[in-house]
Amino acid sequence: MSDTLLNVSIRYGFLILLVGMLVFFSVAAPGFSNPRSAVFIFQSVAITGILALGVTCTLVVDGFDLSIGAVATSALMLSAYSMVILEQPAIVAVMLCLAMGALVGLINGLLIVKFRVPDLLATLGMMFLLIGLQRIPTQGNSIATGMALPDGSVAEGTFADAFLWIGRHRFDLVIERLVPVPVVIFLVIAVLIWLFLGFTRHGRLMYAIGSNQRAAALVGTPVNSYKVVAYMISGVTASIGGILLAARLGRGDIASGNNLLLDSVAAALIGFAVLGAARPNAFGTAIGALFVGILLQGMTMMNAPYYTQDFVKGAVLVIALVFTFYLSSRRVSGT
Amino acid sequence: MIRRHILKLGTAATLALLTSLSHAADKPAPFDKPEDVTIALVRYLSTGDFFQAYLSGVETQAAALGVNLRVFDSRQDAALQADMLDQAISLGVDGIVIQHGLTESMKEAAQRAVDAGIKVVAFDVNVENEAIPQIEQSDYLLGKMALDQAIKDNGNSFTAGYVYVPGIAPLDRRHVAWEEVKEANPDIKEAAMFGTLDNPIANSVANQARAVLQANPDINVVFAPYDEFAKGVKFAVDEAGLSSDISIYSADVSTADISAMRESGSAWAATVATNPAVVGEVSVRSLALMLAGEDPGQQVIVPPTLITQDFLNENDIKNMDDLGAKLPQFAHADVAVADWIPLPPR
Repeated sequence: MSDTLLNVSIRYGFLILLVGMLVFFSVAAPGFSNPRSAVFIFQSVAITGILALGVTCTLVVDGFDLSIGAVATSALMLSAYSMVILEQPAIVAVMLCLAMGALVGLINGLLIVKFRVPDLLATLGMMFLLIGLQRIPTQGNSIATGMALPDGSVAEGTFADAFLWIGRHRFDLVIERLVPVPVVIFLVIAVLIWLFLGFTRHGRLMYAIGSNQRAAALVGTPVNSYKVVAYMISGVTASIGGILLAARLGRGDIASGNNLLLDSVAAALIGFAVLGAARPNAFGTAIGALFVGILLQGMTMMNAPYYTQDFVKGAVLVIALVFTFYLSSRRVSGT
Repeated sequence: MIRRHILKLGTAATLALLTSLSHAADKPAPFDKPEDVTIALVRYLSTGDFFQAYLSGVETQAAALGVNLRVFDSRQDAALQADMLDQAISLGVDGIVIQHGLTESMKEAAQRAVDAGIKVVAFDVNVENEAIPQIEQSDYLLGKMALDQAIKDNGNSFTAGYVYVPGIAPLDRRHVAWEEVKEANPDIKEAAMFGTLDNPIANSVANQARAVLQANPDINVVFAPYDEFAKGVKFAVDEAGLSSDISIYSADVSTADISAMRESGSAWAATVATNPAVVGEVSVRSLALMLAGEDPGQQVIVPPTLITQDFLNENDIKNMDDLGAKLPQFAHADVAVADWIPLPPR
């Protein structure tokens, strides 16, 4: 009997917590429970959620990507640079960013599999490199239309409307102008990565690499290629996050992206606990991101100051990790 | 013949006069030989448009004076900043500008510099030293002037959202103005206070502001005394479709802020700002006055300027250069000036 209880709490504990939180905020915070508010939550987690899905892929192959925040802000700067200073159309900006993300992922992967640099160190180096690199073309200035250029002229380009559409347009869904594009992109990427990791041969092989690299190699898995691919997926999703950020802000703000990194890693780790998976998984990551988003939205509506929000975020993460590592180990050992 | 001679003489005299004016033969020591003067800028904060513009102001004013400038950048490392100040002392520079930092870490190092006979000025950091003048952009006035404009536009009875993160010195000083205005106008109701410095700030604040606007639909004024805050609130207001119902009042300005304020139907009504480049120039000029043995005063305050959306639209201002041209008090502050100090070219 107590075994079943334990199993139920491991499997559904986090989802029950999520529902409990929704009920609590609906009662406590006026205006929390309506469709717009729900969409707000999705929008506020869309960007970190997308980054978290990327980092999930690297966690699956027992790796880690510290550079995602920096890739996102580099994509932000790159898209602004190509439109405002080089005066390129939206499609070029998007393509450049995606290519940049893939290239960074490729370099990360090669550093790790070819040059045997430990994953944390390789991506840490990449993070610093990108934080510096993104500022070099503009000498540390943010990019905005009308900014003075080093040669004395003024930047004439503007953010293309098609580009801003990616960050700002809202689709009609029952209510007019309800669902913003970033939310749709987040959901699409979540489903794609969920299908890829859970239901394709490639995904299963990646999990195999993550649990026992040597065994996977012995049965003929091209371990190195899969690892590089995992980092490239992570780089590309991070650059998508950066594009959405740029499209929302409408300017190239210099930022280190460290908060993006931390929030998305937190979401991916909370995801371990969802449904008692005890391993990285796309569904859990998406729920983890939503969990944090709901919590922050509700607390902001109740006028809780920012430091209590950080505190609660940390508490959620610790509880999730206990769920994952302690309870699951008890389930496995059968005590 | 004689006439020709007189003409020549006259030309020569005019030429000599002109040369002496531009080269200022009677500049006080040590600026008669500016190439021998070295000043150091020891920075605590450097990332961001404000600090970049401040640096450019320091650079142009130093170049106009003809002195050498060394820049030490500690990148938010308080201990390193103190070390760098000691490094500047041992290099034997003539003057030092301390830009931001913490009182606790800089106080003793600043005293060592003064003891070594080096002239020091401090921008936005109180090093508790009589010999060191404080350069300040008046943060209190920034907040006060923005709120005065809010009251002028909206009357003295409105429901406000307020963006604030305690513990950040300039925001704390702006906060004083908000407390005062609330005290003086009991009909101003603070419905919500929020704020975060999570990077990218505007994005994080937008997420918060949306929740706040949802929870408090009666808010019609938002006081966001930092431009990144204001930008975030503006996103939230736009996304909620409330642009015509809410007015945003802020502090600081940049080229991007100008375009955000000028978007059609923008909720961003006004901002109050000092030009960071001007503050940089004033810092160097104050130091120059001290090196020449003059006294800039214990406190050198660079006055802020009110910039309204209407003013920007009426004058078709697109960027910071336009703003400086149309609003001369923004491009130059008549603070810490002397006949012998050449101003940077514009």
